[in-house]
Amino acid sequence: MNDMSKDKNIDIQIYNFAYLDENTKRMIRRALLKALCIPGYQVPFSSREMPMPYGWGTGGIQVTSACLIPKDVLKVIDQGADDTTNAVSIRKFFQKTANVAVTEKTSDASLIQTRHRIPETKLKEQQILVYQVPIPEPLRFLEPRETETRKMHALSEYGLMFVKLYEDIAKHGHIETAYAYPVKTNGNYVTDPSPIPKFDNPKMNNNPAIQLFGAGREQRIYAIPPYTNVKSLDFEDYPFEAMKANFKCSICGSSDSYLDEIIVSDDGKRSYICSDTDYCKEQTQLNSKEEDQ
Amino acid sequence: MMQDFLFKASNISKYYGQNVGCKNVSLDINSGEVLGIVGESGSGKSTLLNCIYGNLKVDEGDILLNDKSKKILNFTKIDEPKLRLIQRSDLAFVHQNPRDGLRMNISAGGNIGERLMAIGHRNYGEIREIASSWLEKVEIDVSRIDDKPSTFSGGMQQRLQIARNLVTKPRLIFMDEPTGGLDVSVQAKILDLLRNLVRELGIAAIIVTHDLAVVRLLADRIIVMQNGNVIEAGLCDQVLDDPQHKYSQLLVSSVLQV
Repeated sequence: MNDMSKDKNIDIQIYNFAYLDENTKRMIRRALLKALCIPGYQVPFSSREMPMPYGWGTGGIQVTSACLIPKDVLKVIDQGADDTTNAVSIRKFFQKTANVAVTEKTSDASLIQTRHRIPETKLKEQQILVYQVPIPEPLRFLEPRETETRKMHALSEYGLMFVKLYEDIAKHGHIETAYAYPVKTNGNYVTDPSPIPKFDNPKMNNNPAIQLFGAGREQRIYAIPPYTNVKSLDFEDYPFEAMKANFKCSICGSSDSYLDEIIVSDDGKRSYICSDTDYCKEQTQLNSKEEDQ
Repeated sequence: MMQDFLFKASNISKYYGQNVGCKNVSLDINSGEVLGIVGESGSGKSTLLNCIYGNLKVDEGDILLNDKSKKILNFTKIDEPKLRLIQRSDLAFVHQNPRDGLRMNISAGGNIGERLMAIGHRNYGEIREIASSWLEKVEIDVSRIDDKPSTFSGGMQQRLQIARNLVTKPRLIFMDEPTGGLDVSVQAKILDLLRNLVRELGIAAIIVTHDLAVVRLLADRIIVMQNGNVIEAGLCDQVLDDPQHKYSQLLVSSVLQV
């Protein structure tokens, strides 16, 4: 096996392009088209066994696999970073099975698979953003019956969703939900944005890129087409607030990007750095250019 | 034609395969009136209640509601979204077991607020204010507004369920054994509360119970059921004091006297 994997041509013969067989990809594409036609609606699809455990992004990978074409340039991020385990292994997976070009630069990518972040660099038309989704049903922990939640979506009975926000305010004095903050897509379906920080929620609104969501274990695909209205739910007297740690990145100095908190010493000293590594790099370069001038 | 009834069910039949759930039952109720449905276990009371509330599909018959804009709605004909909207605005359903009617992992305030948010309330301050005032009305200490119902006693849970149902000012409330499973002193308190609320707010109610004392206290009229059929109907005191049908006589005579 080691001998074979050295030669990329042989790999491509072993696997169909981008791992999944054509019939499976066709099935997923049909689900994706349906999802794009009904923004925010969860389309069931027949999720396949992937060569990795559920919860490692099998939904996202299947969607990526179905969308990928040979001239695509792929970027994979995990919590905004290009160099974390999940991102590295998924990127390698598609290099091996599809032999596509890869990049870390957001603006160069034609397809970006992401776990839990939306890149800071503005996305543009012709780009596809694929989200890995653990739980596609925003009402799951409020109403455990799937038959009932489907009916609630169908009849847009979303009072219960607000009960969750009510409970937050009652308990904490503000809406404490910080990630997977529910949104209303195209004024119709309430959608789970996957566990992105609520800081990223406004980026979903009116985004020129195609946003696709794949949940492998739950066998659901949903989508937000380009330039779709996406509104975060809130109360009149407690409006939605995108929030982040109130610091500057200690590498690039940016104060407007989403920050990760890192404990840097045993006595609990903290440091904050951009979670989007590509953005951080870009900002650092910009800074050094300015210094040179 | 004058349409002064609030709710009318005519010739309701429901079959479970070969078995009869209820057969050819008709009833009607005016605003502010309380109707009791009594009978032994298995006589079809709960089936009837679920049928006329719209939870169960009836095999025969019509269920008519005179809605707020004086329009007659037929539950067997309207589509589901409409029915569910009516159920959460004009109607209410109090379950025997508060666990069926409450969300146990959500605070008391959230439980009361849910129906408000379901009909479009989006102002936290307002929702909370209404929830507090309803806690007061059902005699639950307002300081418990953020506690979960699982920390409440059985009687408090039942009172919370009543508050949760009445908050949207329904015009007709369905109750399935609202005091079953509670001890007598707590029962008395709930009955007292219900009687006051129903009179004060002018809400009509349909109460299913096997407890004749409950209907004696609350109901204006009653119907007696046996094996899915209505065997006697009339004014509450009249039926209880002078039952005509053999089974009604048995029912009245089997009440234990202290």
